[in-house]
Amino acid sequence: MSEPAATRPAVRVSGLTKRFGAFTAVDDVSFDVGMGEIFGFLGPNGAGKTTTIKMLTGLLHPTSGTAEIAGLSILHDLETLKSRIGYMSQLFSLYADLTVEENIDLFAGLYGVRGRRFEERKAWIVEMAGIGEHVGRLTADLPLGFKQRLALGCAVIHGPPVLFLDEPTSGVDPVARRRFWDLIFDLSKAGTTVFVSTHYMEEAEYCHRLALMNRGRLIALDSPATLRGSMVEPLLELRTDDAPHAVEVVKGLSGVLEASMYGRALHVLVADERAATPVLSEALAGAGLTLRSLRRIEPALEDVFVARVRAAGGVE
Amino acid sequence: MSRRRLFAIARKEVIQLARDPRSLVLAFLLPLLLVLVFGYAITLDVRDIRLAVLDLDATSESRRLVDAFAESGYFSVRRRLERYGDAEPVLVAGQASAVLVIPRDFAADVAARRGAPVQLLLDGSDANTATIAMGYADAIMSGFAADVLPIRDVFLAVEAETRVWYNQTLESRNMIVPGLIAVLMSIIAAMLTSLTIAREWERGTMEQLVATPVHRLEVVFGKLLPYVGIGLVDVALASAVGVFLFGVPLRGSAALLLAASVLFLLGAQGLGIFLSAALRSQVLATQAAIMVTYLPSLLLSGFVFAIANMPAALQVVSYAVPARYFITVTRGIFLKAVGLEALLGSLIGLAIYSAIGLGLAARAFRKEIA
Amino acid sequence: MTRLSPFRIRQIVRKEVRQLLRDPRSRPILFVAPVVQLLLFGYAVNTDVRSTPLAVLDLDRSAASRELVDELVAAGYFETVIQADRPRELVEALDRGQALIALEVPPRFSRDLASGRGAAVQLLVDGTDSNTGTIALGHARRTILAYSLEKGGLGESLAIGPRLEPRAWFNPSLESRVYNVPGVIGILILLMCLLLTSFSVVRERELGTLDQLRVSPVKPAELILGKTIPVAVVALIDLALITAVGTAWFDIPLKGSPLVLLAASLLFILSGLAAGLLISTVSKTQQEAFLTMYLVLLPSIILSGFFFPIHSMPELFQWVSFLNPVRYFLEIVRAIFLKGAGPVVLWPQFSALLILGTAGIAVAIRRFARSIA
Repeated sequence: MSEPAATRPAVRVSGLTKRFGAFTAVDDVSFDVGMGEIFGFLGPNGAGKTTTIKMLTGLLHPTSGTAEIAGLSILHDLETLKSRIGYMSQLFSLYADLTVEENIDLFAGLYGVRGRRFEERKAWIVEMAGIGEHVGRLTADLPLGFKQRLALGCAVIHGPPVLFLDEPTSGVDPVARRRFWDLIFDLSKAGTTVFVSTHYMEEAEYCHRLALMNRGRLIALDSPATLRGSMVEPLLELRTDDAPHAVEVVKGLSGVLEASMYGRALHVLVADERAATPVLSEALAGAGLTLRSLRRIEPALEDVFVARVRAAGGVE
Repeated sequence: MSRRRLFAIARKEVIQLARDPRSLVLAFLLPLLLVLVFGYAITLDVRDIRLAVLDLDATSESRRLVDAFAESGYFSVRRRLERYGDAEPVLVAGQASAVLVIPRDFAADVAARRGAPVQLLLDGSDANTATIAMGYADAIMSGFAADVLPIRDVFLAVEAETRVWYNQTLESRNMIVPGLIAVLMSIIAAMLTSLTIAREWERGTMEQLVATPVHRLEVVFGKLLPYVGIGLVDVALASAVGVFLFGVPLRGSAALLLAASVLFLLGAQGLGIFLSAALRSQVLATQAAIMVTYLPSLLLSGFVFAIANMPAALQVVSYAVPARYFITVTRGIFLKAVGLEALLGSLIGLAIYSAIGLGLAARAFRKEIA
Repeated sequence: MTRLSPFRIRQIVRKEVRQLLRDPRSRPILFVAPVVQLLLFGYAVNTDVRSTPLAVLDLDRSAASRELVDELVAAGYFETVIQADRPRELVEALDRGQALIALEVPPRFSRDLASGRGAAVQLLVDGTDSNTGTIALGHARRTILAYSLEKGGLGESLAIGPRLEPRAWFNPSLESRVYNVPGVIGILILLMCLLLTSFSVVRERELGTLDQLRVSPVKPAELILGKTIPVAVVALIDLALITAVGTAWFDIPLKGSPLVLLAASLLFILSGLAAGLLISTVSKTQQEAFLTMYLVLLPSIILSGFFFPIHSMPELFQWVSFLNPVRYFLEIVRAIFLKGAGPVVLWPQFSALLILGTAGIAVAIRRFARSIA
């Protein structure tokens, strides 16, 4: 995917920090997001993704640092800022006891979308979410995929230049997820900057750029392709009859940087492919394990992240 | 029923309660605080009735009468009026609950034995205080009359020897505290349980529980046990405060009190579970719990308002209010020292109630699961 | 601070109204329950002691003893429920609570009376219900005294001494219902305000919808207004309903001006909403909000003078009751209904309500704004 030209960043985060007592949830994070970019935010649970998004949307006050969104400071221009951003959280947060239409009316009203523009936006949401036949139904009774598309529609009812999505697709099936992402692509094409956190790797691939967070810190920031290419060490896929046992054996061997299970296989990151092959076979044979296959593979994003997170000190 | 699964649920409930220290503190603090406030503040013994005096006679005789009122302890003289016209504004503004009007010729009439009338104007809008004030004033007046007239030796044809049982001094506190325990339990029990189940529905964790091989009775009992425990601790705390702080006598068997409490708590909490399972929303369950438990147990249980004084239809309704039986039991045990025999009827009432409560709770679950 | 937007407030109001009315199960709670409660209170909260169950053990079985029992029952204060044959039965009747008062007439009653030696009867009172006990005892003593004076030929002797002529204003027959029903209005309005607001914020916080509102341009004050206006309207409708039922069904006179009543109710509702919002803001879960609500509700009723006279309480509680808006509202409501009082007389109570209400709302909005900022 091509990177859109960014003249002025849509989001500029500088030194953003949030502490809860002694615990530092977000630790001195800085980055820029370009206009119209789909910016992915990845990391294990508790890495500080949600806290960062909450600070950027004004739901939390940063302990220190600041950020500018569409040229407006989250510290000083919050009131104006609110009408320039959209937000959708991992919790489905429309009113379950209101109908689809009543939810749309409510958020349109809160964002001051009225008159002809309101009619247009409403029609657009109904069409894009595919909920034409459900407008009179209680939101509680909709399937999850519909709910999520409706929530997205309500979040962008005022056409905000920047949209924040906090794990928007958790819990929906792959088809609905793909449909949701088509909507994100449309928004991005229309010029909306989309800031999305996720822990689905296939979703990460859809992003123009990815930021990886761990323990409150930003540990990687680049396009998916560059990140994949950044892993220069060879990655080997190893199959045996007892993967859990094999991990124990392989870990700590000289020349082995990383070993982790992927399904029933092992992914082993080594310093030098030629030197490592005999070492691995010997060690496995010594432990009474049969080596079924051993081959070099292209790293997936997941491998990159596992390696990065471990290199950065592992998960808490 | 498997005891292990039952305890697993009970343990989960205890852990959740323990993690929510504010709710837990409230569950214990609330009854304690209420017993304290009720114990101190609720008194039906009327004292210090605000009295305004219009003494048109202004003689030593009339002053003696005013003093008799002031020294009785029942009245406190707040205002001295000059004109009869002042009486109404004082009563309208509520500055006094009663106005004593002593007419101009009071002393002369007393001396002449012409039957000197003294007016007492009462603020009837507070019928309670007015009735009681009237009784006190009557008594003070009779005393005064006996003093000024030699009718002390008047011969009484029939002497009424009165003996007050169970609560010799007729202190309202002795009546309130045992009843209060019952009222508090009915409120707290239904409230705590109705919330916990409704919360599980709202958060979707109930589906999870239902998916495990847990029998509905195990869920019901497992959820109940910790709350019955809390309820019993509350009963004990409230009783201790009543006995040690307020000097309410506990004359009967504490074991019987405990047993009756268990029956009552089971029923009340079963009802709470039923409400929350049936309504599935914390807000609705709460509102329903208030309507079903709070008001009836406050009003129709004989807690403050004697059932005997109610219209017949309401008296019939009161038989359906479990707090009525529980109050009979707590008062019987605390004050009357009666045992199983005298309380059998009420205990059977409680047993039926707890069976109904548990039955409803179990049924509500079956319906939900199916 | 930018200006509040009436348009946004209207959006929140519309949403709240829709949510309130959506669930068919909650509609009766809004409008039917208060009326049912009024009827319940009106009949049950009755401190007039009448028809107290009486157990009689008449060992004399004479015309004189029957006359005495008849005198007791005739005034309507007592109702004979048990005719006992042995003293043991009297004890049992009291123990079981079948009778609250028992009269024992000894075997020589009529002979003693006739001989002029003076007869004695015994009254046993169940003191567990001290209220009924005190009043019933008073009734019994008065009846027996009258009987005694009549039998002793002393009917007129008291006419020559000073005597009391009591007159009750505003409620000549001293019916407790006339006093209690206006008070119920205050309690029910408080209950409605607390029930409908205590959950409003904490529920949205638990469900996650609060964050969705917070990222929108809606301001905390707009949100609060939008949430409270519908509740205030419901409370006012309930006020009208209860007042109508109270005057039509229970014949409670509304001597004062309905407009003054409305004004007082508005001020009072302000306090109720402030209390509910504060509860909702400080609570983390709905369960907590519920418990806190009780913690607030019961003392506000007890220290309001609704059942229990404030002037008889310990000094400390009398002071505390000055902070209780219910206290002032009940004073106003009773004065308007029964005394026909107006603002000229009631200005202290009006000022107190105004101060408590505005201070409460100000604190609630501040606390709420801080909690979501």
